[in-house]
Amino acid sequence: MAASLAPPGGAVGGYARILRLQLLALVPVSIAAVLNSGYQYLAVLAREPERMGNDLRSNLAHGLGAGYDDPGLYDWLAAGLAHFLPLLLLALVIGGLWERIIAARCQRAIEPGFILIALLFTLLLPGSAPFSHVVYGMSFAILLGKGIFGGDGKTFLSPALLGIAIVQVSFPSAAGQHPLWQGLAGYAGSDAVALFHRGGEAALAQAGIDLWTAFVGSTSGTLGTTSVLAVILGAGLLLLNRVISWRLLLAQLVGLAVVATLFNLTGADTGASSMPLHWHLLLGSFAFAAVFIACDPVASCCTNPGRWIQGFLIGALVVLIRVANSTHPDAVIPAMLLASIMAPLIDHAVIAWNIRQRGRRHV
Amino acid sequence: MPGSIDLETRSATTVALLGRDYRGVSFELLCDEGDEVQAGAALMRDARRPEIKFTAPAAGRISRIERGSRRKLVSLQIEVDESAGVTSYQPPATEERAALRVFMLESGAWSSLRTRPYGNIPNPDAEPAAIFVTALDAEPLAPDPRPVIDARLDQFTAALGVLAKISAAPLYVCQAPGHALGIAQSAGLRCISFTGGHQSGLPGIHINALCPIGFGGGEVWHLGYQDVISLGQLLLQGVPWTQRVISLGGSAVRNPRSLLVAPGAAIDQLLATELVDGPMRILAGSSVYGRPLSAEQKFLGAGQRQITAQALSDNESEAKQARGGVLIPNDRLEQLAPPGIFPVPLMRALQVGDAERARELGALELAEEDLAPLSRACASGSDYGLLLRAVLDQLEVAS
Repeated sequence: MAASLAPPGGAVGGYARILRLQLLALVPVSIAAVLNSGYQYLAVLAREPERMGNDLRSNLAHGLGAGYDDPGLYDWLAAGLAHFLPLLLLALVIGGLWERIIAARCQRAIEPGFILIALLFTLLLPGSAPFSHVVYGMSFAILLGKGIFGGDGKTFLSPALLGIAIVQVSFPSAAGQHPLWQGLAGYAGSDAVALFHRGGEAALAQAGIDLWTAFVGSTSGTLGTTSVLAVILGAGLLLLNRVISWRLLLAQLVGLAVVATLFNLTGADTGASSMPLHWHLLLGSFAFAAVFIACDPVASCCTNPGRWIQGFLIGALVVLIRVANSTHPDAVIPAMLLASIMAPLIDHAVIAWNIRQRGRRHV
Repeated sequence: MPGSIDLETRSATTVALLGRDYRGVSFELLCDEGDEVQAGAALMRDARRPEIKFTAPAAGRISRIERGSRRKLVSLQIEVDESAGVTSYQPPATEERAALRVFMLESGAWSSLRTRPYGNIPNPDAEPAAIFVTALDAEPLAPDPRPVIDARLDQFTAALGVLAKISAAPLYVCQAPGHALGIAQSAGLRCISFTGGHQSGLPGIHINALCPIGFGGGEVWHLGYQDVISLGQLLLQGVPWTQRVISLGGSAVRNPRSLLVAPGAAIDQLLATELVDGPMRILAGSSVYGRPLSAEQKFLGAGQRQITAQALSDNESEAKQARGGVLIPNDRLEQLAPPGIFPVPLMRALQVGDAERARELGALELAEEDLAPLSRACASGSDYGLLLRAVLDQLEVAS
């Protein structure tokens, strides 16, 4: 009898609950990010020891005792933390600083949303990203993405997405061009999608990427986006707690599958148009961004038909930009930015249709 | 307790008519404090529509007429004394529409009709697009209407016959599946079964499914099964049904069950020995669609069928404190919203008080109860029922 008293589904909860669950869902992704960045770094050094630099992160990794001869879990962890933590701490400091300034000017309390923004932003960066890019991107994320729209829960775009997009647009060549992250055989960018674009599955095989490594995430890429396994764990938590919309998530997969299949059937036999669906899902940052960026409950469509449309649009745009625009081999960030900007328009159209239906009634 | 019809009768020494149950009515008193009144005697009428009468729910002496701000009637309280007797009404001799309406107006039965949109008592000369009888109750721990109706099937059927004739509009009897009423269906009277979750018992859902309200300016009427039985009693015996079936339920109730009580009975007298100790939340209505019982509401409201008392854990009082955030869109809100309504745009329109936008998004189809689950689910702590009421008030003035 007591069970039947609970309101159906219980309370949806406020932004604080969503924040807690999102951060919790990002724990497996963060662990994968640390381990994999350490693994990649040491793998390159083992092959080309002369690439060992004299920057903060290399020295930190060295100081923590990460060795590239026969590396074990500790070495990967130490090298990974040496790359991940400085970026995250800097992003937190910059985000917190702006948040503090905005809170003081608006005479409100400091909102904790910048923590999630900083973590998402860091996970979307390559491990070798210059610190200046973090300062630049986080400033835009907090100021333009969050501050001017009124703070947590009132954003128009996902702030982390905006910050990353501005970094990518402002420094189009820098993001993937640190020597350490080019060191892998066949890489010119940090991105496995670009590798496929140039050489197809043969190039992937040459770089040691197969279905399993791409799924687990031991491939080169931006920090948090390589491990589809970790993303699935996080997505499961968010879906179970109804933080993100399963419709929006499924619609993205459908959009990706439909358009990728269309290109496979009709497009050229080489390059991105020949990329089969499973590589679209496993390579690049699609899986990560589909769960943690596109499904931002505040910045996506707020009607169910709108969620289907927006999700399909994201999936379709990702494939389209991967095929048509070689300057954005990964294509996820521009696709999500476009679809996110479209969200209010999509909602507007859905609502207009709903009002039209209501006007046709005879009472 | 399905199947059982022997319900315990719980008497209350005070009953009341509540002003807040009759939206938009300015009451004109036909009696004074201290008067002896018979059960069913007219106590008040609507100053603007004097045909509409409000009758005494029980016999006794008028103990208090409570007024609030701007002398608005809050409650008219009666000290129950059965010896005062019962007023009887002469059932109409003809089946003419006008005569039936006059009978309903005189006997006070008209005041149990409600319009959708707005939830007013309909005008005596208005024509609805349809009339809905809500003969099912899907809310958690609500009394089961089936034994109540089955035990008074003659009254119920007689009243349906009259309701089908007071207008040319179809009469829909919305019932639980498998509840055979043995009523001859016709073009003017149809029995429709509704299944589904808790919301399948709401009149708003039935109206949306059978005669949805758009922007045409029409209205539909609805009333509950117990008011139909009361009308039937008036038709068959000339006297109103001076009892109602309500249920007491929830984790803080010692012995959850259905009771027969007087309409408008004092709630504290009903609950006197029923509750366990400790912090609790008492709701007028069910845990899903009920509203927290405010200190001012000491009596059962019109059409109220249950009282829910939930024991509060520390956890829940903490959850209450966490409120006051912003509205976060979530597809669970879509699940809780009435069909065809996009909850987030509507909730935003209600929050900023944009009446025109709310009208476009379907505010006219809704009543406060329809939005209760959204109020509970939304982290902003807004009471969308109250906001909807404010918007409907604006829309009604403008229409």
